[in-house]
Amino acid sequence: MDEETIRRFEEILKAREFYVVGKKVARVDALDAVLGRPIYTTDLLSDRVLYVRAVRSPHPHALIRSIDSSATRAMRGVVDVITHREIPGVNDAGSLTSDRPLLAVDRVRHYGEAVALVVGEDEVAVDEGIAAFRVEYEPLPAVFDPVEALRPDAPRIQEQGNLINHVKIRKGNVEEGFASSDVVIKNEFRTPFMNGLPMEIEVAYAYPEPDGTVTCIASMQNPFDVHNKVLKVLGLPPEKVRVIQAATGGGFGPKSDESPIDVAAYAALAAYRNRRPALATFTREEAMAVQTKRHSFRIVNETGATSDGKLLAWRSTLYLTNGPYYSKGHLVIQRATFHCTGPYEVPNVWADGYAVLTNNTLAGSTRGFGAPEAHFAAEVQMDILAEKLGMDPLELRMKNVLRPGSLTATSQRIDDNGLVMCVEATARLSRWKERRQEYERFNRLNGRYRRGIGIALLYHGNTLGPEGDDFAVVHLSVDPSGKVELQTGLTEYGTGALTSLAILVAEALGIDVKDVEILRPDTRAVRNPGPTVASRTTVIGGRAALDAAAKLRAVLDPLAAKILGCKQEELVYSDGRVMVAGDPTRSIPFRELVRRAIETGLDLRVEGYYKAPDTRWDKETGQGAPYNQYTFGALVSEVEVDLLTGMVRVLRMTAVYDVGKAINPLGLKAVIEGGSIMGMGHALFEEFILENGVPVTLGLQGYSIPASTEAPLEIVQQVVESEGKIGALGAKAMGEIPVVLPMASITNAVAHAIGYHIRETPLKPSRVLEALEELGIAYRP
Amino acid sequence: MVSLKVNGKPYTLEVAENETLVEVLRYRLGFMGVKEGCGEGDCGLCIVLMNGRPVHSCLVLAWRADGAEIVTAEGIGTESSLHPVQRAFIDEGAVQCGFCIPAAVLIGKWALDKGLAKDREKIRWAYRGLLCRCGSYIRFEESVVRAAEGE
Repeated sequence: MDEETIRRFEEILKAREFYVVGKKVARVDALDAVLGRPIYTTDLLSDRVLYVRAVRSPHPHALIRSIDSSATRAMRGVVDVITHREIPGVNDAGSLTSDRPLLAVDRVRHYGEAVALVVGEDEVAVDEGIAAFRVEYEPLPAVFDPVEALRPDAPRIQEQGNLINHVKIRKGNVEEGFASSDVVIKNEFRTPFMNGLPMEIEVAYAYPEPDGTVTCIASMQNPFDVHNKVLKVLGLPPEKVRVIQAATGGGFGPKSDESPIDVAAYAALAAYRNRRPALATFTREEAMAVQTKRHSFRIVNETGATSDGKLLAWRSTLYLTNGPYYSKGHLVIQRATFHCTGPYEVPNVWADGYAVLTNNTLAGSTRGFGAPEAHFAAEVQMDILAEKLGMDPLELRMKNVLRPGSLTATSQRIDDNGLVMCVEATARLSRWKERRQEYERFNRLNGRYRRGIGIALLYHGNTLGPEGDDFAVVHLSVDPSGKVELQTGLTEYGTGALTSLAILVAEALGIDVKDVEILRPDTRAVRNPGPTVASRTTVIGGRAALDAAAKLRAVLDPLAAKILGCKQEELVYSDGRVMVAGDPTRSIPFRELVRRAIETGLDLRVEGYYKAPDTRWDKETGQGAPYNQYTFGALVSEVEVDLLTGMVRVLRMTAVYDVGKAINPLGLKAVIEGGSIMGMGHALFEEFILENGVPVTLGLQGYSIPASTEAPLEIVQQVVESEGKIGALGAKAMGEIPVVLPMASITNAVAHAIGYHIRETPLKPSRVLEALEELGIAYRP
Repeated sequence: MVSLKVNGKPYTLEVAENETLVEVLRYRLGFMGVKEGCGEGDCGLCIVLMNGRPVHSCLVLAWRADGAEIVTAEGIGTESSLHPVQRAFIDEGAVQCGFCIPAAVLIGKWALDKGLAKDREKIRWAYRGLLCRCGSYIRFEESVVRAAEGE
């Protein structure tokens, strides 16, 4: 459909009262989950499968002197050993950049890097085979700190040097801005590596088909990324590899990244070489070691403002600590740098973001993609500034927030009022002023506990923007019973986005969501729809779904008009019927129309497509419009700090997001709550610790994620709708967004409670206690 | 020889000394609703009801389940007749990635049976042994409250 037709189609949909959009609709796949149906990869295995696991490096940086697999090969139950020499195709597993071998050749660059694969009849045989495998390493000097890694004498991790990229923002004249400021503050902020930690561990199941095809069923976000790499590794033509996404127990970024490629390639190699079904997965500890982590960040913010709180200048220096392979580091630093000032208008901005290779374990895509770290540094900085100016943090923010007509750090003009709507609603719902005073009174009692309330605001550049081609493909077909089948390579892994697509299709065809059936993503059945990342399925995929529905209508409308004796423009699709506008007595059930269309020989299979406009910005100055639209949000957190133990408890959160248009309110509710809880974990205890490149927080006892009793007692939420320019029916991205603000918001609430802004996350008890001792307010019973 | 009932149906089978209940349920008897996430009792994905109480089935040796009545998510309702907790999970939007949901509905059923639904804090504590990375805990709580209201 041409842009104009599809736009008109959307206008027509928006003009009437929505039929299903915005209504409480149950997830299309919820029934399978509550009944415990076998839908995940390991639920689908055939009887006898081979098991595959990797021999992994215990060193963060070493040369491989020799490999001896003879003892392993001789063991009972071991069927095959695969090193880089046995790879039939190309030894390349890097998700975007071909810098990461599937199996190390002569050098390992991080702890846990795979050196060889052991294939066996059962897991015990494989584990024993791995234990008997001999690799002689010669440790090399390694580097773990990003600033050290940039020194000229630092160990060089990859040929081209340790600096991946340098992202710049040059807006106005920052020196003049500082010179005219009444107040200038400068602070350094740090955040650690963190695990995305989907509960379902990476897993892939591959089997050879009689025609020589290798089929791979796996847990992942991007079947086509996996497909591209598996066929490359196997050296097969595209049609000889088929990848199907099984139900996927959590994504959070890592499952769009390196590790799903690894397990799929392991299983496919074993299946291909041994002509038998094979399963590759990790132990929990192994998954945590090798899965791409949330990058560790070090950010220095310098901010200048007038005495009445108008921001004049902002300088940010950001260091992103990457693993030894690019993964998505070059893109994460870009998003972090573009968002370095937070959602405020600052006339003069200078920012330098550096992504740096180190010998830490892999880091890459994780929910939020650099935005949580950038907002943490910006929003705590704003609170410190408010304190310095003697202003209420909310008042300072309202003086500077992005409003219609404001220019962002990249000088992109904002044209909607979403942020102000969010701030006003949050202030009201959280009773900001009263509670702030209430907690200050409470704290004057000088008991064991102190309470505080803090706020943080966000803007989030939508979907891929500068991160890649922002297109999507959605296929629809209708069977004679009137059921609409929706299939796409975009995937569901928890956010409910595919339910949103079903809702949009149901809306456009006036049918019940239950009559839209979603088929599994399968590289053989669908075209590459681009990656399922960047919270883009509802926004961009939704446009492709509407395009597909419009194409179906274009096939059905002439027939319907003929049957009903009306003009095509008069047709209304609603309540499972097609009727003449203004005369509901003249109607035909959708089902009946479909039946007659098929009888007439009409083809009811369509392919919907949408591509967002390319975005432009200048690489030297960062100036331009890197994103097509922005999501806005505000989060207030209320905390209680135990002055004896340093424990922080989140009592309540109040979250308001500008979602553009709420397509799937029930899904939004779960995502906003869940993201807030995940972000609370980031704020309070999540920290993946490495000592000289070796992980020490492996396993669920070493690394804590929020449990039910740690979640806030209450999360008050509301959505506001300030339509986005490109999203389906005005929708804005929301999947990742709720995880962005908790670190900043909770840190600001703790500062309100104890009178000091901790500048490094997590706010674990030992760190809080240290601050309390320093402040002289630790509680002594 | 171990004899146990799963979802009301009796099974008798030979088990190895070190075989765990989750292995028996998943791989010997095919109850795929029982998930595995760590094998160490940390994540709770393998929770089933054993003689009416939630247990981490990865921490139960299969021979210890001799004579036990086990209930899994497959055994508390059907598509045409969902358990009230299952119904409430769907209506309250509790399902995100879905991976912990079979365990979560069982905990919900137990909390409901125990009469904990009136006390939200007790519901929260009932879920203490299950990790949900999607953070659906408040949805679980709402679901149990709603299921109790419907009864």
